Amino acid sequence: MRRKFHGLKRPKIRQSWNKYNLYNLSRLRRQDIKTRTFFQQKWTAKASTRAYHGEQIREKQWQHMFRPRLASVVPMDHRYLAQFDGSEQALGRGSGLDVDPSANSQREGNSAKKNPKIPYMNMVYAPMERRLDTAVFRALFASSARQARQFVVHGFVRVNGKKMIYPGYMLNPGDMFQVEPERVLFATGAPKTKRQRRSGRRKAKEAPPSSEAASNKGATDEDVGLDLSTLSLTESAAAAAPPPSDDPVAALLTRARATISGIDESSLTAKQKQAFRSLKKSAKSLHSQRNSAPAFAVPTLEAELSNFTFLLSPPNSPSNPASADGQSAKEATPEKVMQQAYENPIDSSKPYGTPWRPRDYMSPFAFIPRYLEVNQNICAAVYLRHPVARPGLSEVSISLDTYTGDAYQWLLRRYLPHSIKNRISWHSIGIFVAVVDKCKQISCNNLKKKLVHGNRGILYKY
Amino acid sequence: MFAWLKGPGENFRRPLPDSTNYLSSYNSQGRLWRSLESSPTLALDEEASDPPAESNPESKENPLQSQVVSEDKLPPEDKQDLKPFPVNSDFTSQPVLSEELREEIYDRVVNNGKSVKIASAELSVDMSRVAAVVRLKTIEKDWVKKNKPLAKAYSKAILEMLPTTPLTKFPMRPKMHESINDLPVHPATTQQIFEPTSESRSFTRIDASKVFDPELLPADERISHPELIELERERRLGISQEERIMRQRERAKKELERRESKERRRDEIEEATLKRVLPAERGGNGGRWEWRFREISVQDAGKDGRAPGGVGWRYGIPHEDRKKGHVKIPTRV
Repeated sequence: MRRKFHGLKRPKIRQSWNKYNLYNLSRLRRQDIKTRTFFQQKWTAKASTRAYHGEQIREKQWQHMFRPRLASVVPMDHRYLAQFDGSEQALGRGSGLDVDPSANSQREGNSAKKNPKIPYMNMVYAPMERRLDTAVFRALFASSARQARQFVVHGFVRVNGKKMIYPGYMLNPGDMFQVEPERVLFATGAPKTKRQRRSGRRKAKEAPPSSEAASNKGATDEDVGLDLSTLSLTESAAAAAPPPSDDPVAALLTRARATISGIDESSLTAKQKQAFRSLKKSAKSLHSQRNSAPAFAVPTLEAELSNFTFLLSPPNSPSNPASADGQSAKEATPEKVMQQAYENPIDSSKPYGTPWRPRDYMSPFAFIPRYLEVNQNICAAVYLRHPVARPGLSEVSISLDTYTGDAYQWLLRRYLPHSIKNRISWHSIGIFVAVVDKCKQISCNNLKKKLVHGNRGILYKY
Repeated sequence: MFAWLKGPGENFRRPLPDSTNYLSSYNSQGRLWRSLESSPTLALDEEASDPPAESNPESKENPLQSQVVSEDKLPPEDKQDLKPFPVNSDFTSQPVLSEELREEIYDRVVNNGKSVKIASAELSVDMSRVAAVVRLKTIEKDWVKKNKPLAKAYSKAILEMLPTTPLTKFPMRPKMHESINDLPVHPATTQQIFEPTSESRSFTRIDASKVFDPELLPADERISHPELIELERERRLGISQEERIMRQRERAKKELERRESKERRRDEIEEATLKRVLPAERGGNGGRWEWRFREISVQDAGKDGRAPGGVGWRYGIPHEDRKKGHVKIPTRV
């Protein structure tokens, strides 16, 4: 049986935005390499990195995915390539003309900074990043890898426009994946407060069945068009999408209903309450006698609606979504507020708190690796290429660095696929092991240097 | 844990306005390194007063986020602030394209009709990324046209949390987003080779690539924008700008012709191997369908009959697609 997912006693870093995970990450330390045997180090390294990378998949699956080859690129400067043909590097070898190859540009300052090492050991788990569920998590469409997996299994994810229900689908370069925006907003948004839940329940109970059906339809049906003309009219009127019919009266009623259902009456001022009640009244009367309504009923409701939303619009009002957006209220013009209210409406039918705001403790985990190109507006991303390492930079996010060389050695020894074992020359494997050893050495040296110079990384105490 | 969450951890509950908010940009007391460094006297005071507070987690005062936020302008993040994992110094949160830059890329490629290669070189954005941006933007515009709601609030919140590459207006040079001339490390080049050669020989990159592997191309031809090298070379020779532009146009034209002729040849070969038969009842033309026959070699199935090139069901070779333990996840969509 698995221990606690976010345990505090034996902390494991997970692919999740949980606050327990954040706390564990904040007190994470490098492994003690002095008192432990090499095998212990390797075991811990492998266990702790595996707990982060694809803990939801079976060991055997990972064994099939593991490849010893670690991809990397070197950025080239076209100016340098134009100026030299490469012979300058062999110039004067042994006759006193050769320069230290690491210091090929002394005018640029420190050569070690100029030519950093390629962090190959961070790339051990690169094959995992190809998985669809991991990519969905990396694109910030889900709050954990497990949730991303659930989204895939439940059919909310499409690859190249087709529904893909296999979380283990290995993305190919150029594949585009899309997640239902409603699911993304649910996964990344703050949950409803107690008050919002309660008022939502009350609204659902109070609302007549026909309007409930309409609001449900507006919430779930993706193809319902948003009437852009409502934007200029009213602020939270666009809370729910109007029904697809062209009937202006129905559209107006839906807007009014959405406005009414998103308001908690107890939080209004006296003047707002007055406007609110008269709005409710005229909406009700128009609803009850839709077919035989007097000619002035529609413009009356229209006026009530705009009056009420105008009363709501002062930037300091509690129900104003602009203040919840983290934007300073003083610089928000009425047009901006209106725009924001249109984009981020109050709607109690949603499964997340509205107006939408990012969930707590999300920002320390927010990063998008370069092998993905994400368009947040449509909740879609393209997997551009496989992740690579480049000098001083790796694209596979991994929470631990000194560990990974050990993990790689552990895997190399055991997980080399037979097909590859036969194909690959053992000579190149030897090079990888040498790289590992060198990395270990380097990281130890860095550690010492940091201890001596009081580097910031070590100052970070727990 | 809850003491930490109420203390230094409180900084991470909400995003920092217009900035990233990673663990490594705070010290153990929950203060931003950036704000401490920008006001050294404050830092000194705190260092003097902090150690007793640090030993006792209960007495940890609340972080000074409110103070930090109330200051007019935070200093921009440095490299150290962009590391989400304090223990791993090699992983950095790299900037993403800002909304305006994406719009600009779409505009250049779709509205101005520039090629992906040129847009990539101008804005220093990788070619595959340019293509992806155009593809995603096209879908976005389509959604707008169909009145499909966009996740604007989500997009705005995410882009505020992440480092972004802004769009710079014309007189300023575009800010480099990423290296566009990445050279993939070829497996053949990962070994050290002792190659004896005469001292007088000019041993260039082309020679070196031949030593590693006779098939390997030199770095100049393996990068994504080899034409930039040629342009730079001409600039160094002192050729006038008009002349260079003309030459580049000619080269681009030639390249396009080459690619087109290649495609044409491929189509011709395809056409030659394909035999089309039109239905007879319509007099041999004008039908909505046709038969297409292609030559298939039995030998494609290989010696054991299981080679991937083999076509159709072969006697004695069972289909294993319904067998337990075989992977049925599609490999491409």
